[in-house]
Amino acid sequence: MTVKVEVKEGGMPHNQILATGLIGSLVGIYITYLNNILGTDLLAFFGGIAATLALYWGSHTIKRLASYGIGTGVPSAGMIAFGSGVIGFLFATRFAIGGGILVPIIAVIAAAVIGAVAGVMANTILKMHIPVMVSALIEMSIVGALTLMGLSALVTGSFTFDALVTSRISFFGMELTTYESSLIGGSIIAVLFLLGGIAIQHPFNACLGPSWEQDRMLMLALECGFLSMIPAAVISFAFISMAAATISFVVAIVGWFYTYYRYIELARRDAAFWLDAKPIKEPEAGH
Amino acid sequence: MVVLETLGIMVILIALIGIIIGGVLIGFGVHFVPVGGAPAAMGQAPGIATGVAMLAAGAGLAGLFGGAWAAELGLLVALAAGAVGGGLMMAITQLMVNIIYIFGMGIPVASGKVAKDPITGDTQTEFKSQGTEGHGLPFVSYAGGVIGGMLGGLGGTLIYVMLLDVYLDALPLIYSTNKEAIYLVAVSLAGIFAVGMFLVNAVLAAYNITGTIEGPHDPKFKRFPRDIVASAIATAVTGIFALGLVLV
Repeated sequence: MTVKVEVKEGGMPHNQILATGLIGSLVGIYITYLNNILGTDLLAFFGGIAATLALYWGSHTIKRLASYGIGTGVPSAGMIAFGSGVIGFLFATRFAIGGGILVPIIAVIAAAVIGAVAGVMANTILKMHIPVMVSALIEMSIVGALTLMGLSALVTGSFTFDALVTSRISFFGMELTTYESSLIGGSIIAVLFLLGGIAIQHPFNACLGPSWEQDRMLMLALECGFLSMIPAAVISFAFISMAAATISFVVAIVGWFYTYYRYIELARRDAAFWLDAKPIKEPEAGH
Repeated sequence: MVVLETLGIMVILIALIGIIIGGVLIGFGVHFVPVGGAPAAMGQAPGIATGVAMLAAGAGLAGLFGGAWAAELGLLVALAAGAVGGGLMMAITQLMVNIIYIFGMGIPVASGKVAKDPITGDTQTEFKSQGTEGHGLPFVSYAGGVIGGMLGGLGGTLIYVMLLDVYLDALPLIYSTNKEAIYLVAVSLAGIFAVGMFLVNAVLAAYNITGTIEGPHDPKFKRFPRDIVASAIATAVTGIFALGLVLV
């Protein structure tokens, strides 16, 4: 897949997008942490917002990396982002000090370490010599970890390991702790993995080329984030209260509808004019 | 720390070595798979018309499912099932690719990198269309794809089995419950970590290949020693995190 991708710089500098994605995503995840303090799960939908903001940042990172013609398809970048991100995320969930107040920070650090190792390997041993390779793989790994953490918080209302492997079921009025029907025990994590893995690579894959426009791609990234939030919100009905899951679902639908509407507007702005051409007239008989 | 005291450091170290071997097998196996990319979709290069990472993931995950299904039957049976699963997936895919090329598009199979097939000795040049790199999957590429799928499935299953054994010993200690209650959590954790490590290794191998490769006879195949070093180091780091999950 040696596709020559034209380097086209957009309006917003990358560091601004990075800051928006990283800070916005962490703030969203920490708002879901307030669930533990307030004893509610109504704030779960902020996990979906956090995942969407992380994907927004990740799509632009992929654009930066793929602009160098790395010789592999764009989707592989999404796969390495989540392959390394899931490991950092699950490792961090075990640090349940103070109800998991440190988990997001440790996830960022652990994912950054894994991404840095992969990036240094690619640049030195595999002789890629791409200037942004290390920073891009670090960023994508963090995006993978934060997206999974946001979606997990959306589904279960929390992001500590205990919350991800246990669930409470009432059995004839008795509260039982079960492991089978939890987020990890039921392998919901695999669904979230691919919901994020597809969403991170699709925006640039769909918008690349000479007509690439930054605002259009970022709008598509938000649309993909909300689109991934919809199935995650549907899954959350099995884990959190009906009211909280309904809020998540409505936010996801409304967010997706708005961003998709805006994306179509931007796509029409950038599309070639549709000419009202008439079919060629047949010459009349006798001439 | 109770987990480390009960299991002993040797169990963790042996698991880590197994994980590293698995990662290296995946990275090495990817180099055997004939990847044609976009040119192959137009019949202008030999190989399967997709990217390295996607193809490796497909073969490896098929192998991983086969191996995971047989994980209860012992290590050797699980590894064999993983290898067969990965190899079978590649064999079926490549057969269908060739059928579509030959009977659907009317293109004879020809390699662009060698004059004679290294295995069968069939000549290639007179079947190669002008202006193309070759097309379809010659016998050596087909054999390479099956070997690559088997190595990928073997490596993925090895990572999965190593992690599963550690988790099945460690998680009951953490949650003071029995193995049966926590079995699915251990399976799911080991599975998602095996998938994650698989994808990291497949993409690193894809970066090593940079684009397309015809199979084990391609000059690019000689680059595999670099990838073995990179795979070993990257898998060691991810393996430490995956095992550290139950140790912290």
